[in-house]
Amino acid sequence: MIQLKNVNKKFANGHVALNDVSLDIENGEFVFLVGTSGAGKSTIIKLMMKELELDSGKLLIDDKDVAKLKRSQIPILRRKMGVVFQDFRLLQDKTVYENVAFAMEVVEASQKEIRRHVPMMLSMVGLSKKSKQYPNQLSGGEQQRVSIARAMVNSPSILVADEPTGNLDPEMSWEIMKLFNEINQKGTTVLMATHDLTIVDRMKKRVVEISDGNIIRDERRGGYFSENQNH
Amino acid sequence: MEILSEMKGEVDISVKIRTTKFFIKEGFGNLHKNKTMSTASISSVIAALLVIAIFFIIVMNVDYAASKLESQIEMMVYLKDDLSETIVSSMSKEIKTVSAVKDVQFVSKAQALKDLNDKWGDNAYLLEGLEGENPLPDSFKVTLTDPSKADTVALALASISNIERVVYGKEELDKLLKATYILRISSLIIITILVFISVFIISNTIKLTVYARRREINIMKYVGATDWFVRGPFIVEGMLLGLLGSLITTLVVGAGYYYCSNLIQNQMLGLLSVTLMPFKALISSLTLLLGTIGLLIGVVGSFLSVRKFIKV
Repeated sequence: MIQLKNVNKKFANGHVALNDVSLDIENGEFVFLVGTSGAGKSTIIKLMMKELELDSGKLLIDDKDVAKLKRSQIPILRRKMGVVFQDFRLLQDKTVYENVAFAMEVVEASQKEIRRHVPMMLSMVGLSKKSKQYPNQLSGGEQQRVSIARAMVNSPSILVADEPTGNLDPEMSWEIMKLFNEINQKGTTVLMATHDLTIVDRMKKRVVEISDGNIIRDERRGGYFSENQNH
Repeated sequence: MEILSEMKGEVDISVKIRTTKFFIKEGFGNLHKNKTMSTASISSVIAALLVIAIFFIIVMNVDYAASKLESQIEMMVYLKDDLSETIVSSMSKEIKTVSAVKDVQFVSKAQALKDLNDKWGDNAYLLEGLEGENPLPDSFKVTLTDPSKADTVALALASISNIERVVYGKEELDKLLKATYILRISSLIIITILVFISVFIISNTIKLTVYARRREINIMKYVGATDWFVRGPFIVEGMLLGLLGSLITTLVVGAGYYYCSNLIQNQMLGLLSVTLMPFKALISSLTLLLGTIGLLIGVVGSFLSVRKFIKV
């Protein structure tokens, strides 16, 4: 469960990224964060990862106050979350298999666990046959699927995605969304920041819209634009 | 499902072994993968260690020469006239019991005159006529185990009865002791400064390899790797760089020293009573010093250079 209570965040240059933002996300929910660039979507994600510190208010993840976590406890927080980025962030000198295994190695999993989980994840994202290939031999959609396998391999309870379809064509984007849906069906909370309106409209999930650091809309089964707006 | 969501409070040994294996695997792998950067780092380690090694050799040799001089210093203990042989031999025994005394040698007045004769050589005619009434006293030549204790020894000797006077080159000895002391302290300071400079240079070189791999660090941090886990492979890499650098430097400097000391000993330079510290005495301390410093600058250097990138 993710809870933001009156969260404020201002950057050093004076830009107000979040202004008194409150938001509750239940376990197992699928939430789109929408809004223009710079609206504050990425700031929420960065606060959740404790990559940034909030100025005031509270951010709880599974009832734990993120602001109160010590530096040494950040890894525990991050292991609850799988992250997917717009630019995939794969290691070019490692194979598909190694990229996914790397995420397990760095959290000190055993070789036995690695050999069991990595193939499972690769088959989930449909890349079992490409496990020995390198990222530059794959299409963008395939690379993003590798990064999803990597994000999910340590079985996080939350999947966080920051513009995961930003670099992909519509067809590939839709494949990624089907995967997210599947992951969500299995019980993982999915929080996705995006400004891909086709996807948001098609998925019919909860939509939280942010504008200039304020939440201006929160709909159960929304579209990219609010119904009362004229477009 | 949450296999790894909680970090165990107690450290499992098998996890530790596995982690160490991962560090070594990644450390070696990175060294191999980034050949250009590794070569650059090792070269700067070698450059820094070469300066330290040459400086160390100079210091060791000056110190060696100074200790040699120190050990040659002797005290003259002049005795009162007309002492019986039994008294003299009991005095000799007593002097031997004084701490820091290495050896005592009796010099009779006749012997002293003869020595003086030999010493003055052509000018010995000045001593003519003294044979009848030799004005020189009997004496002991005392050598010391620790020349810095000369003052206390002199005091102790003065309190023994039948001793007329204790004479030693106090000023010269003090100067020599002071000089070697200053040499030792300043060389320690200079070596420390050189080590700091090397750490700085090496951490900058390693920083380039770390910078090249910032994506990797970034991913590790996002996935939930601990700071120590991210540092591990870099520290292993730094250790390897440092050790390789010190190994090469030791071989080069060691071989150079061996060659030079042989040359000096065997060629006419040997006539100049220049004696270098023996190769065998030097090489073990040199290896130890360079190995330690190499390891230190490798580890500290990588630790410092990862610091900035780890704060994600």
